[in-house]
Amino acid sequence: MSLATALFLAFFGVAAIWFGVVVFRTHSMVRSAIALLFSQTAIGAMFLVMQAEFLGVLQIMMMATEMSVMAIFMVMFMMDPGGMGKMDMTHQKRLSLWAGGIGLVAALVVIWTAGWQGPAPDVPGADEQARLLGREILGRSMFIFESAALMILTAMIAATMVAIAPQEEDTQ
Amino acid sequence: MSIAVIILALAIGCYAVAVLEGWAVHGRLSLTRPATSALALLGREQILPRTSDRLFFEVGPVLLLVAGLLSVAVIPLAPGLIITDLAIGALFLNAALAYVLVALIMAGWGPNGAYGMVGGWRFLGQFIAYAMLIVMPITAVAMRAESLSTTQIVLSQAALWNIAYQPIGFVLFVIAAMGVAWLPPIDLPTGGGDLAGGVEAEYTGARLAVLRLARLVIIVALAGATVTFYLGGWLGPWLPGWVWTALKTLAVAAGMLALGSRLPRLREAKYLELSWKLGITLALANIFLVGVIALVVPI
Repeated sequence: MSLATALFLAFFGVAAIWFGVVVFRTHSMVRSAIALLFSQTAIGAMFLVMQAEFLGVLQIMMMATEMSVMAIFMVMFMMDPGGMGKMDMTHQKRLSLWAGGIGLVAALVVIWTAGWQGPAPDVPGADEQARLLGREILGRSMFIFESAALMILTAMIAATMVAIAPQEEDTQ
Repeated sequence: MSIAVIILALAIGCYAVAVLEGWAVHGRLSLTRPATSALALLGREQILPRTSDRLFFEVGPVLLLVAGLLSVAVIPLAPGLIITDLAIGALFLNAALAYVLVALIMAGWGPNGAYGMVGGWRFLGQFIAYAMLIVMPITAVAMRAESLSTTQIVLSQAALWNIAYQPIGFVLFVIAAMGVAWLPPIDLPTGGGDLAGGVEAEYTGARLAVLRLARLVIIVALAGATVTFYLGGWLGPWLPGWVWTALKTLAVAAGMLALGSRLPRLREAKYLELSWKLGITLALANIFLVGVIALVVPI
């Protein structure tokens, strides 16, 4: 890995963490959602630095839409979506501190104890990567992807049904 | 070198589209109106709304412009005349256009005004309608080209343009593209006469100029994408390739503007209903048909 690659990787890594911190520091729900988006975009940029073009661009694309949809739900459900009322929206602080601390320690243990191999000597070209990914999704991993898709579809239909008011009420 | 040429072509294209849009809206062709409008906007007072989300207010228009410029980066003007010929160019175009949504939500939320906010969130609803109809026709285009590279997609149409090979995809893509660029009749986020300008309502001066310029860039990018995916890009007889791309792009932009000026504005719920119930069904049928044709008849 060249020095420039390492520097860019570190830069986007720090950006991802910084935007992650902003998610919790801001009072505005929209700012929070957009900060989470830029945190994820920075992770997409890390993929790009590591020459995983398809995955990087996919991450950058998917997160833009997902976080925007999340933003409107946060605005709908929160009491003070603009953060202008300076409402404290945190709760169960002691529990979340413990959970966060344990999560951090677990992540550090995994990072330090895992047997990381060195960087891949030669990365396949972007078109070859897309081809390999396609073969993976339509081959070995097809069952996993299809079952995940079916679960998401079921959840979408169920959520829509819960959201729609009963027909009888409309007619009365 | 090619970057400078493409930026110059983009600037001329934006100006031409502004002239065409003026023609479609006001019914009178004026070659100088965009220039005078831009000068007027730049000279006007720049009002900052009270208790605005300043960061979003400033970043929104700029992010919109960046999204438009990035999407132009993968559109080939002629063989070799492209800013970056990515192997996943078609996907990159989608990723760049996804940030149009983010930028409009930021620009709508930022000024802390009711009309802007409604406009911004309306675009999210509009996005839910058009998103699949951008991605699914491109899937069929990439299936034929067996590549996501925009250059390869143009080359795959040497024998027959995609407009003839997959006409359903073409129609769906153009309608969805009009949604991305919020062109009438799908101009819900700005909605003249309905939302008092919507997302644009609280913007004045240079900020509004950036917002409008960004929209022109997005229109050119989408017309260019339509040409690349369906109208054979630079392919054509007698004239040089870049002339063909330019002519076709302007023709598509003019077609979209002319179509929009003759139709009444679509209601959000109606657009969603049409897109999901009819559009996605047709898009799936298109993918299936293209798959069958690609396997049976090698064109």
